[in-house]
Amino acid sequence: MYKNLFAEVLLADPQKTDNYKLSELFEFTTETLLPGLLDDKNVVSYANVFEKPYIDNLKYLKQTGLPNPKSEQFNFSNLHKLYGLEIAPRTDRKSSYGDFEWVADKSNEMVIVDGTVLASNNISHNRSPSVTILDAITTNTSKQKEYIKYIKQMDNFTNTTYSLSPFVNIMVFPASSKQLYEKKPLTVNYLNELKENTLSSNTTMFDIQHNVSVKLKEKVRTSAGQMNYSIYILREGSKLEIDRTTKDKGGWSLFDSVFICHPNSELTIKSTNTGSQYTQENFYIQSSSGNKVEVIGRNNIHKGNDYHQFIHHISNDVDNYSNIDIKNVGNEYANTSFIGRYDVGSMSTNFNGTMNNQNLMLNKNTKMHTRPILDIKTKEIQCQHGCTISNINEHQKYYLQSRGVENIEEILIESFLC
Amino acid sequence: MLKLQNFSIKDIFSNVDITFEEGKTYVVMGANGVGKSTLLHGIMGRPDLDTHGDVEFNGIDLTELETDERAKLGIFIGFQAPTSIPGLSNFQFIRQANNIKAIDLKENLDKFRDISTQLGLPEEWDKRNLNTDASGGEKKKNELIQMLMLDTKIAMLDEPDSGLDVDGIKSLIEKLSTWKNENNTLVVVTHYEKLIDGLNPDAVVLLKKDGVQIGDKSLADKIFSSGFENV
Repeated sequence: MYKNLFAEVLLADPQKTDNYKLSELFEFTTETLLPGLLDDKNVVSYANVFEKPYIDNLKYLKQTGLPNPKSEQFNFSNLHKLYGLEIAPRTDRKSSYGDFEWVADKSNEMVIVDGTVLASNNISHNRSPSVTILDAITTNTSKQKEYIKYIKQMDNFTNTTYSLSPFVNIMVFPASSKQLYEKKPLTVNYLNELKENTLSSNTTMFDIQHNVSVKLKEKVRTSAGQMNYSIYILREGSKLEIDRTTKDKGGWSLFDSVFICHPNSELTIKSTNTGSQYTQENFYIQSSSGNKVEVIGRNNIHKGNDYHQFIHHISNDVDNYSNIDIKNVGNEYANTSFIGRYDVGSMSTNFNGTMNNQNLMLNKNTKMHTRPILDIKTKEIQCQHGCTISNINEHQKYYLQSRGVENIEEILIESFLC
Repeated sequence: MLKLQNFSIKDIFSNVDITFEEGKTYVVMGANGVGKSTLLHGIMGRPDLDTHGDVEFNGIDLTELETDERAKLGIFIGFQAPTSIPGLSNFQFIRQANNIKAIDLKENLDKFRDISTQLGLPEEWDKRNLNTDASGGEKKKNELIQMLMLDTKIAMLDEPDSGLDVDGIKSLIEKLSTWKNENNTLVVVTHYEKLIDGLNPDAVVLLKKDGVQIGDKSLADKIFSSGFENV
């Protein structure tokens, strides 16, 4: 298939049977593992499909490389853990439903896997006012080009994901759908149930058109590697609520989410995460004016897992509201980091922002980092932040003990994350 | 019956001998800092206290038991400053403590609501976060609800009157008097004369750094008239 370039183009040659490490992709960007990739038959044969964006992406990736741990959003990350992972080249790929046939009979549900959208029958036939899915690249290249302009390459994992999966899957929620997907949310499954050491890359775009309200239930499950780059366009007056759960299935994932908020749109993100052998979850929010943004994270990072988060809210216009409230629980040997950043421009008066990150460290072998960054370029704003790292409160523990309560740690974790 | 012999808490007090008998009410008094609250927490087994001596409850040696194991025997401590736990509701707390099964949920919830209404607590008190955004008096009433909802055999209440208004004190006395019977024991740390009168204790325990002095209610009267130094 055409999208998983990482496995089938970048690394399938010249050593088809060997496993590769992500660090080798990094080497490719600097050492040119595949000489002539940009101009010889390796790419030419795909050119009709990928056209210019793919070539541009590779050039860009080659220039920038993978994110460096010294970069702001990766300061506390555990990237070396990721570089050490071995990834097997993919030799087979299913373009049909394959293992995901179950989704066909569901309602308002889709699976996004390896750059492909598999949708339930009730929405895959584009019946108005249902969601419109633009996935067939050969027939929708012009539409694809319209949306490409929303993709901004940045110095983070997004450029990697986009290079590996340069053609976006686009879901358009037309104005006629109004509150259809608020009443019955659209469930989006990001799955990779393939054998370990495979990589699935997805570039996806959700276009919420004017005055439409949408709820997305996103389920991220991977038993192998997964890189997602999702862009959400909130048109004027629209509302988007995302309820994202990420559960550890033994794999690793990098999930970059970009939100482009047009005037008077509202964005709510509620996410829960268990971490995995490596999880990086980044939110980049670009506000225009009159936006209301809430990001609520409740993450219980399981024993030995990694979870790293970067939330960047850029406000360049007036009357924006932002509430970032992230709570992390770190079990034994868990490694977590939170970096939150407000960039409030000089024209962004009446910005009202609150950034909180609370961390509960359950064990002395847990590592938890937190860093709030506020870059404010105007005086007429209200902004506050609070970041804490604490252990189990001994007074609370004793109080529960004194009433004969069992499972005290579980209860205190639950109440902390409430 | 709760029996203390040569009971000491390091740096607080030493050699306390008391027996709290079933069916009786005790008032514990003592100068500030003498260790009245610490005595109750020592009996409850607070982990950070360095206790010595014998503690026995209904023939069971408590010295090796953890706090939760003591609680399960029916020992209840009412905190002077109850701890708040945001995210845990008042009723969920009771549910966890009593391990209430789904089938018994409604009955217990009704009982909880009855008591909280009788104590003048706000509607939907069961859903409020445990001791969070509550006044001092409301927290004390919450302790009383817990005591009544749990299978309490000996209740040790640390200044249950503090923060309560006049009606609250009246309700407290009524509730404690109704609860009290020949099979349970009430131990109250207080210096509030009206509460002592209302409880009509069988004995008054005066805690000192080097032991205790035990008397009837007249001991409290003497303390009120002459002070701790002159008793």
